[in-house]
Amino acid sequence: MVRARSTEDVVVGDEVVRHRLASRVIHWTVGILCLVCVLSGMPIWTPVFGWMAGLLGGLAVCRVVHPWAGLLFLAAIGAMFLNWRRDMRLTSRDREWLGPKVLSYVTYAEHDDQVGKYNGGQKLFFFAVSLASLALAASGIVLWLPTSFPQAVRVAGILLHDGTFILFAMAIVLHIYLPAAQPGTYRAMTRGTVSAAWARLHHPRWHREVTAGIERR
Amino acid sequence: MSGPSLEVRRSSASLWGEKTGMRRLPVLSKYIDTTTCIGCKACEVACQEWNDLGVVPTRQTGSYQTLPTLDAEYWNLIKFSERETENGGLAWLMRKDQCMHCEDPGCLAACPAPGAIVQYENGIVDVDPARCIGCGYCLTGCPFNVPRFHKKTGKMAKCTLCVDRTQVGLEPACVKACPTACLQFGTKEDMLALGRARVEQLGADGFKNAALYDPPGVGGTGVVTVLRHGDHPEWYDLPRDPQVPLAVRLWKNVLRPFGALAILGTVLAALAHFLTYGPKQPPGTGEEGA
Repeated sequence: MVRARSTEDVVVGDEVVRHRLASRVIHWTVGILCLVCVLSGMPIWTPVFGWMAGLLGGLAVCRVVHPWAGLLFLAAIGAMFLNWRRDMRLTSRDREWLGPKVLSYVTYAEHDDQVGKYNGGQKLFFFAVSLASLALAASGIVLWLPTSFPQAVRVAGILLHDGTFILFAMAIVLHIYLPAAQPGTYRAMTRGTVSAAWARLHHPRWHREVTAGIERR
Repeated sequence: MSGPSLEVRRSSASLWGEKTGMRRLPVLSKYIDTTTCIGCKACEVACQEWNDLGVVPTRQTGSYQTLPTLDAEYWNLIKFSERETENGGLAWLMRKDQCMHCEDPGCLAACPAPGAIVQYENGIVDVDPARCIGCGYCLTGCPFNVPRFHKKTGKMAKCTLCVDRTQVGLEPACVKACPTACLQFGTKEDMLALGRARVEQLGADGFKNAALYDPPGVGGTGVVTVLRHGDHPEWYDLPRDPQVPLAVRLWKNVLRPFGALAILGTVLAALAHFLTYGPKQPPGTGEEGA
């Protein structure tokens, strides 16, 4: 078993190191804090999920836990942004992802040979989540301290927080679905490595660069 | 819960659980005649006494008001304002400010905690501090800026229309203490009749713009107020046309259910995708589409 610690984008045997330890720790910290925010926030959002409040000790506990978890989540997102921002630089080819390219990706219509370490969809998701986290934090502060803000700001805060959460939740569903549905993906973020076959199938240009020893920075 | 009047007509964040809708009780109402109020503040003291509320330090801001605004431990406040009128006269106005006990309470609509804010069958809007989570949404929902939050516990507190007194056939403490009888208590029907008679009387005295403030935008209020300058409710620090904010309605009745559907739809779409397309296969493995 390959232990991917400090180096990534290297071939070791018939595996490729995709995420080093620091990346994985940051990712799972963000994931766990996101889960805590969701578990504490959804019972406040709707009484349909009131039963979830019991997981944390009641709705009043949710109301206290949620903003603090949110602050920690923002800090973790900050670390995530710093860790991945170079890898996520958008190229002209990534712009196609705002159009019909998404459809051909989802229906496996064509095999794109030029997909690098992260495809356009992943990069757009990265920036969308970063932006959404800022929006949630800003509106969250307003909701946390309602008596410190005028009525119009409170109303805007509620709508922004609610709307952003809905979009965020939809994106997270897809973010969890894709690795679950594609075998060999999940271990990239747990063990840190993927098989050469996985790399050739999903990120062929990255595989070529890595096997040729091309520096990616 | 005891007594028929404490059955719930409407409850905050309740899906289909808490209302009984069984009893058609007359709505209880407090009548305030600002034209005969002398600003003695016996009502403020009575409220503090009856509800065992703590002392709230006062601040002199150059006004006769005890405090600049309501407090979690000061549920009713005589608001003073003075201004010159068009014909060079002086309007020296006093209005008893407290929860209006709206027929369509905005605080209840906005509250996310099940049963934290309830409206009884008799129209009284009450807070259950055990269920309140202190989030402050009620403040955003209220068009009268009434909800206040306890410094230590964060819970919301406001006038209860002395639900514990009215439940046993007594009038609210403020009404009992008032020396000029400008505060009355009874059914909404009776208080409206009082109000109409008084407005007519004021009109005969030359105050043609006198009006009874019972705003329709919130379905009418349990507290009805006679205003000498009924064309200028804002002089009494009352909103002209109070309503539950549209944003609160949109949030609860549109954004939230459609958002929930969108999230569920995404889950179903993911499932449908997996069943239709499955995982990605390397090119040329010879698998036809389903």
